[in-house]
Amino acid sequence: MQKALAALVLAAFPLAATAAPETFTLDPYHSSVLFAIDHLGLSTVHGRFDKFAGKFSLDRAAKKGDVELTVDTASVNTNDNDKGTRQRSRDDHLRSADFFNAAEFPEMTYKSTNVVFAGDNPTTVEGNLTLLGVTKPVSLKIDRFKCNPATATAKERCGGDGSGKIKRSDFGMSRGVPQIGDELVLTVSFEANKD
Amino acid sequence: MTTLLNHPAVQGGAAPLVIALVVAAIFARTRFAWIAILAAYATMVALTTGFVFSPLTAGRKTILVGLIAPIFGLVLDMLPRASRIVVTATSIAAGTVAIWIFMSILHQREGLAEVTMGAGIALFVAILVGLTLRLRNDGLRAGAAGLGLGLATGIAGLLSASIGYLLAGVSIAAGAGALLLTQLLLSRKLAVGFLGTLTFGLLTALFALGSVLLAQLHWFVLPLLLLVPLAVTLRAPEKAPLIVRAAVLAAYALIAAAVPILAAWFAPRGP
Repeated sequence: MQKALAALVLAAFPLAATAAPETFTLDPYHSSVLFAIDHLGLSTVHGRFDKFAGKFSLDRAAKKGDVELTVDTASVNTNDNDKGTRQRSRDDHLRSADFFNAAEFPEMTYKSTNVVFAGDNPTTVEGNLTLLGVTKPVSLKIDRFKCNPATATAKERCGGDGSGKIKRSDFGMSRGVPQIGDELVLTVSFEANKD
Repeated sequence: MTTLLNHPAVQGGAAPLVIALVVAAIFARTRFAWIAILAAYATMVALTTGFVFSPLTAGRKTILVGLIAPIFGLVLDMLPRASRIVVTATSIAAGTVAIWIFMSILHQREGLAEVTMGAGIALFVAILVGLTLRLRNDGLRAGAAGLGLGLATGIAGLLSASIGYLLAGVSIAAGAGALLLTQLLLSRKLAVGFLGTLTFGLLTALFALGSVLLAQLHWFVLPLLLLVPLAVTLRAPEKAPLIVRAAVLAAYALIAAAVPILAAWFAPRGP
């Protein structure tokens, strides 16, 4: 019996020594999915999506990771959501088939294919963005990444900022180009709790 | 030049009008003159989104159907006798095509809501197409209806927060206007047939539905659009010169078009 127990402990030991991937879930109250786009060559319009969900996993030992983000396209917000006395707001227009086509494509998703590490921290996430039914590779550069260790009252928490550029016409969103810029800067600022 | 071609007024109005006039002039002596409607719409598409069909979204299906409808209309025009059954069958087929176009939206509803919405889509398209097909033997009435429906769906599209549907509707109005103008310049009516009426009837029905389902047009604007093809069947002074008849019919169409536009304008605006 003792031999069997010892064998079981020995067999399990290598598994315990290998760090399992840690998974984290985005905290929506301390995360943002933002975009910036040129308007008439005059200024940059900034917008955000109010509803999204995401998870990522990290295996620092193996230098591997995985990122998934799902964005509710109807939640687009460029600080012009209130029609007031007008027939429509800019955000109404952005939700229409001219831009995000939220009725037909309620979600925009990003799924990583590779996470590049420098030391213990991820520096670049390579993945596929699916928008308007079109999937294209998009890289997000992680400008900073930091984790706070778990405490007696809180789980481990990681956060950072990532950004990448897309050409919206690549996804079939070509309305208004070039008056409204083709290139769009996508920024994800995030904090996530370990599951 | 590029700046000019990027202007919405050129993309939806001026360029389609010029191209439709040229096409109508080229085919004026044939039964294909109303292909000018398609030329106007295709010009707008070429200048805005281009002809991309993947992935096949509702908007792209609409473009595809717009390209196929005239061919289908042409085949129907070749039938020795277009009976009421052919008109009814074509209207039902148009309604069915509309369900296919907006299938991705329908699938997001469940059970009875999906069925009800699908039936509503098919019914609206079938009725509007059926009413426009009734105008297939009268170039002036069909031209006036195309003008009214194009403007009504275009302006309603704008009020629903879609520039795309504004340009689409206005391009049909430009094409129909070009055909009216050509008939006035030639002092004779141009053969419309299924080719013309199916094309503008089906396209404007799809634009209006797109404005409801993919933008924010209120559904009750849809039945009001049916007033346009009905209005142009009112009596016009048949013995008056062509220009007078065209003006009267265009006035009927525009007055009828004002009803859905005003309904869209005064509709509750929500949050």
